Amino acid sequence: MEALIEALLNGLVQGLIYVAIAVGLTIVFGTLRLVNFAHGAFYAVGAYTGLVVAQHYGFVTGLIAAPIAVAFFAVVLDRVVLRYFYDKTPTAQILVTFGIALVVEETLRLIFGGTTQQYPTPGFLQGAVQLGPIAYPAYRLLFAAGVLILIGLVWLFLVRTDYGLIVRAGTRDRTMVQLLGGNIRQASTIVFALGAAVAGLVGAAASPIYSIDPGTGFEFLVPSFVVVVVGGLGSFWGAVLGGLLIGELYSLTTLVYAPAANVIIYVCMALVLLFRPQGLLGESEVIRQS
Amino acid sequence: MTTAPVPAQTAGAARRSLIASDLRFVLLAALGLALFPLLLHPIGGYAGLATQILIVSVASIAFNLLLGYAGMLSYGQAMFYGAGGYVAAILLLRAMPQHPNLWLAVLGATLVTAIMALLVGAVTVRLYGIYFALLTLAFAQMVFFIVEQAKDWTNGDDGLQSIPNALLPLGPWNVDLEQALPNIDLGIFGNLGDIKLWYVFAALVLIAALLFTRLLTRSQFGEVLTAIRENEERSVMVGFSAPLYRLAAFGIAGALTGLAGALRACYDGTVAVESLSIERSGQFVVYTVVGGVQTLVSPVVGTALIMYLENVLSGRTTAWRLIEGLIFVAVIVFLPRGVLGTLLKQREKNPRSIFVRALRPRTEEPDPLLKPGPEGHRAGPMSIIETFKLGKLFGHFAANNDIDFRVDPGELRAVIGPNGAGKTTFFNLLSGTIAPTTGSINYKGRDVSRVSGTSRVHLGIAKAFQTASLYPDQTVRQNCRLAALARVQGPFALQVLRRSTRLDDVDALAERAMDRLELTGVAEVRAGDLSHGDKKRLDIAIALATQPQILLLDEPVAGMSKDEARKTESLIRKLSTEMTVLVIEHDMEMVMGISDSITVLHQGTVLATGTPAEIRDNQSVQEAYLGGHTEAELASG
Repeated sequence: MEALIEALLNGLVQGLIYVAIAVGLTIVFGTLRLVNFAHGAFYAVGAYTGLVVAQHYGFVTGLIAAPIAVAFFAVVLDRVVLRYFYDKTPTAQILVTFGIALVVEETLRLIFGGTTQQYPTPGFLQGAVQLGPIAYPAYRLLFAAGVLILIGLVWLFLVRTDYGLIVRAGTRDRTMVQLLGGNIRQASTIVFALGAAVAGLVGAAASPIYSIDPGTGFEFLVPSFVVVVVGGLGSFWGAVLGGLLIGELYSLTTLVYAPAANVIIYVCMALVLLFRPQGLLGESEVIRQS
Repeated sequence: MTTAPVPAQTAGAARRSLIASDLRFVLLAALGLALFPLLLHPIGGYAGLATQILIVSVASIAFNLLLGYAGMLSYGQAMFYGAGGYVAAILLLRAMPQHPNLWLAVLGATLVTAIMALLVGAVTVRLYGIYFALLTLAFAQMVFFIVEQAKDWTNGDDGLQSIPNALLPLGPWNVDLEQALPNIDLGIFGNLGDIKLWYVFAALVLIAALLFTRLLTRSQFGEVLTAIRENEERSVMVGFSAPLYRLAAFGIAGALTGLAGALRACYDGTVAVESLSIERSGQFVVYTVVGGVQTLVSPVVGTALIMYLENVLSGRTTAWRLIEGLIFVAVIVFLPRGVLGTLLKQREKNPRSIFVRALRPRTEEPDPLLKPGPEGHRAGPMSIIETFKLGKLFGHFAANNDIDFRVDPGELRAVIGPNGAGKTTFFNLLSGTIAPTTGSINYKGRDVSRVSGTSRVHLGIAKAFQTASLYPDQTVRQNCRLAALARVQGPFALQVLRRSTRLDDVDALAERAMDRLELTGVAEVRAGDLSHGDKKRLDIAIALATQPQILLLDEPVAGMSKDEARKTESLIRKLSTEMTVLVIEHDMEMVMGISDSITVLHQGTVLATGTPAEIRDNQSVQEAYLGGHTEAELASG
């Protein structure tokens, strides 16, 4: 029983990290039709930024600095390279963002070395909370709550602001939004930066839980793609549902038969792609090469 | 069919020149590979690196076969590369530790990976773009973690070491590839004695792989594969089975990749779980894209370039992977054709056009398009196509509802109706592009409701699209030839070595189709460069080249000038003397002028059917049209 509760909580925490990355991936795909293999790099850049800032100015400052730095980085990336690829084939987009991911990863390796690093849980957040029969680290619970709030805020942004309106309309019909005078390009850049900032913030916040190395971005990106595909490419709540599902599936499989944990999430993705290619909550879009 | 003596000679000469060109290619490749390790020496590479480059190149060629020729971005090629290595290693370590035989190990690995690729392909090839990339990645990850966990066989994270040095039985000899060439000092080019026989073997394998892919890409199979990449919708609707072609390409690429993996494991004497990793899959992408897709040799150049840089730079700076990444991004952004592709830009676009068959005299032969079908078309009182209560729901919207429809052989039937009446949906149901929700379709007395569009083309139902669906990068002739090829060869033919030009019927059919639509004058023009009217007519010619018994024409004169429309109209009228024609059209002048009978669709269902005169006088038809449309619109379409 204790093991089960702990596995469920672990699954929740891990799932929420996937959700935070996947939400960015999915809204960027929804608005820009851009398949971003470099999205994991935002997580890694955020984690390293948080690490460096935190070592000098404290953990909370790190949490503030990380999303700002990553958002800035994302805007530069978008303006300098990616915008030329909005209208290219998915294949070209995958290739260029994959290349960017390589460059970012190797730059991080050059600066910080290849070794694994971990930021210690800040003193005032150490300790455990008694949850029924088990004691669970307080920081993890706080992290989970924080990510949930963050996702809620992103959702509010999408439903309450004009930018959000343009973004949601753009998901349906990009051309029409432009014809109606919506500044989709500006809105897209903001969405791109927002998605990146969320990944960066979570990267920094998760560093006391998961150690980081230059390859971390890609390590989290791949399961996040699984999440996005399972939930439905372009669907916000699909990413949330998919993330929690994959996180729990992984965690519970680890409990039952650990060697299968890594395999099962890919099996899950393959099954979804085969039987419901638009994803659990995705709209039935024709999945054809453009 | 008789073959005129002159073309036969031309064909013979052309075949000889083809063989000569293949020979030249092989000799050039052999020369290049002979010089390669020597030239590598002064710039800091060693002979072992040359061998590794050659082996990995085989996998890059396979990757390019998918990306460049079939348009499939597989993000999981490492699963075949790694699996090939593991299978070869396990065979050598467990099955024949006493007499390690390289042939058996490598062939075994190739066979296993071929089967693996066919299994994985069977579920992946129906997806496209990002979904295909992600699904192949998912399978590669599964294989990675399974191999990592199957420690009894694979030794987990540590990988398999000390794979016995396999010998290569060759006739009476047992060749040891670890042997070096004779010691001859070549000055700055190093010493011949540094090169092992392994290099020679790898070079032979690479040449064989290059020759094979060269033949394949120019074969009948390669021709269709490229066509499917260029326009899958059209390819399916001329009767090619796109999934089978993609599957075959995936299987062949998987086998080649497995072969490369097996050779690499045997050469290194070790195989590690990294050979199955995402990073490995990514490397094939990098090598191939840097070299360039769509030329055969460019992946080899990319592989050599990056592996060399890796090797040289990794000794000098820790930033070599960064440099590699930067090169990759720079190539994608600035040289989308790749390094070699950019250098060779001026080369002719379509290699197939080298060989243009002499026009055959068209005199005595009966028109192949007029050949009656096996059941004798336009015979008897039986309807040729008939629908019963046919319906199609999109969500809750009934695009077609309870359509009862019947056409007699030889009829020219127009299907008209206001915008949104469900005409195109109805044609899509008839041609098999979409499946009906309710009801059934009978073609010559047989229920074809569940028969795929591709198979229906082979039964004799062909369609020209509302927006002309062509192969824009190919000539008009080639467009028609592809359709004719589908008719002659069937939905799938694994002709990976022979060209389609050996099939005489294909040219005859294509020629006739072009002639029927008066396109012979523009036969060698790129389809994408045609005028709007010629494009529409080419689309019909493509449909015609499949030798249909029913021709479905979706707004054949839409967007044409008046003159062009009248010309096309008379061509259609001529066609209708030879086959059944169904035509959707808004041009009322044409509809009233050429139709034997007219069916009016309104709000997804049949409003009326009758002769042009009957339809003109029909009260409810007038209401349906005039309800939302003006008199002028009705007249002009």
